Amino acid sequence: MSRRHVETACLLGPALVVLALLFVVPLARLFSLAFTDPAGPFATFGVLAESAVYRQVMWNTFVVAVIVTALCVLLAWPVAYVLSRLEGVWFGLALYGVLFPFWISVLVRTFSWMLLLERNGPINRLLMATGITEASLALLFNNVGVLVGMIHVLLPYMILPLYGAMVRIDRRLLLASDGLGASLADTFRRIYLPLCVPGLAGGATFVFLLSLGFFITPALLGGSNAITLSMLIASFVNDRLAWSLAAAGSLALLAIVLVLMALTARLLPIERGLFAR
Amino acid sequence: MHRRTFLLTAAGGLLAGATGLPRLARAADRPFTFTSWGGALSNAEKAAFIDPFGQLKGIPVVNTSPTETAKIKAMVQAKAVEWDLVDVGGRTVWQGAGEGFLEPVDVSKIPNAAALDKGWVAPNGIATSTGATIMAWSKTAFPDAGPQSWADFWDVKRFPGPRGLYRFFYYNYEAALLASGLKREEVFPYTTEKADMAMAKIKELKPHVSVWWGSGAQPPQLLSSGELALSSAWSGRVLAAEAEGAPVGFTYKDGIAWANWWVIPKGSPNVDLAHQAIDFALAEAQQAKLLDLKTYGPVLSAATSGADAETKKILVMAPDNIKDMLILNEGEANKYSIAYEEKWNQLMLQ
Repeated sequence: MSRRHVETACLLGPALVVLALLFVVPLARLFSLAFTDPAGPFATFGVLAESAVYRQVMWNTFVVAVIVTALCVLLAWPVAYVLSRLEGVWFGLALYGVLFPFWISVLVRTFSWMLLLERNGPINRLLMATGITEASLALLFNNVGVLVGMIHVLLPYMILPLYGAMVRIDRRLLLASDGLGASLADTFRRIYLPLCVPGLAGGATFVFLLSLGFFITPALLGGSNAITLSMLIASFVNDRLAWSLAAAGSLALLAIVLVLMALTARLLPIERGLFAR
Repeated sequence: MHRRTFLLTAAGGLLAGATGLPRLARAADRPFTFTSWGGALSNAEKAAFIDPFGQLKGIPVVNTSPTETAKIKAMVQAKAVEWDLVDVGGRTVWQGAGEGFLEPVDVSKIPNAAALDKGWVAPNGIATSTGATIMAWSKTAFPDAGPQSWADFWDVKRFPGPRGLYRFFYYNYEAALLASGLKREEVFPYTTEKADMAMAKIKELKPHVSVWWGSGAQPPQLLSSGELALSSAWSGRVLAAEAEGAPVGFTYKDGIAWANWWVIPKGSPNVDLAHQAIDFALAEAQQAKLLDLKTYGPVLSAATSGADAETKKILVMAPDNIKDMLILNEGEANKYSIAYEEKWNQLMLQ
């Protein structure tokens, strides 16, 4: 083994040991629980497959994740663009504006949204005072609340990779496209957008995967029909004490995510977005 | 200390931690440990029951929180029981009996249990304090008088406004059947006809239910902020909010009385002490100390007699209150909760 290999092994070693002991082993033990049901090793998966509730919750979870991802892309695009064009103090201010929410606990932010969105809260009072709405809107304990809360938490995960892609674009390419007579729309479609795709794919993957596992925000801001998979799994663990079912549900989610990731990875250059150089 | 020595010591400590510590934690020489819900109830239990018990026995005691059923199960499975006595909700007592993670309670070692209402003693747990799921309302929405029965609660014409109900079939089964006109003594035992009837009744009210609450702090908060007009709620939380001046009204009429149960995790090294602690907490003098709490009350009805008129109004076991209430049959509630979980979740997802 060359000296370089030894160095690599030494540098990676501690992280691998920690990961193996604190992540891989517990995860394997959790998943092995899925096959310990007294009714047979695959009985839990049968229960899940037959449960209309599980199917509906799985569907809900994916729909919410897709909508959150799409809205995050739309909202993050202009912010990332402005960030990539700003310089000096203004850039610093804008970047801290994006990063600041990271430093506040998700729980605190979620509770703050509850205060803002409630029936007699400031947002409803403003809407009614300005005559935009007649009666107060139901913004809390339904999907509106869930989307607002989740997008607020996840937006930075979209903005930063997108900014990373945008800032690396050589602006001379845009000038060249312009000089060769392409319209603004053409330049965007054929030059700018393709160069943003790695960041877009990376950010969207982050947001989508994090959305799938969201717990606190939908639990606090959502209504009874906004149950997500993580809430259902938590209920299997805490209320029903059906741990094999919880393990099977988590394993099924992981399997679906891995398949989706593999498919996406073949279509989009995700790794270039995730590991920006 | 040299850096090298420090590193070696640290490494040695880590090794010892990895191999030796779990065994140490299992040893019986840790103090007697009581775990409860936290907040006002934990403070009252510490002051009225656990600390005096430790002094009486001359042993160190530890009060911890919060209580969690899944944690008891995990401790018992891992054979590393760190809690000797745990305050839990009724459902846990029956889940523990079914899954075998609770020690059986030996009533012969708890003479004071004989004075309790039969409903408060179970094979794997004993009730030590009482509360109820009651109707509460926003005084802004109903300044004069709120609903006085579950039938009123279901009456959206006389009592218009968004409602809150508990997230699970628990409490809602009882409330819906009482609203349908069943008598209190007809609610239990549970049958599929009754459960279907309750589901239909809840489905009828569902368009008017805007919050299915999961934590006890929610109803009083949502009622004071005006998000809800009326809601089911845990009595202790409503009383605590009222004491802080929240504009929330409530009634014990048609309330669903339940208890906080004490259980002993299977494999606790202090099973005998735990039995003695339960017996100590059920003595009239100890039970009477709960009167000062003014939220959750004694489980021993004799202990309510010493209360002043104001306090009597908020005690579940005071004769004037309990006569208008339904005592929740936790064993039956556990049965319908399991049998109707899928149907209940389907209703929630609609």
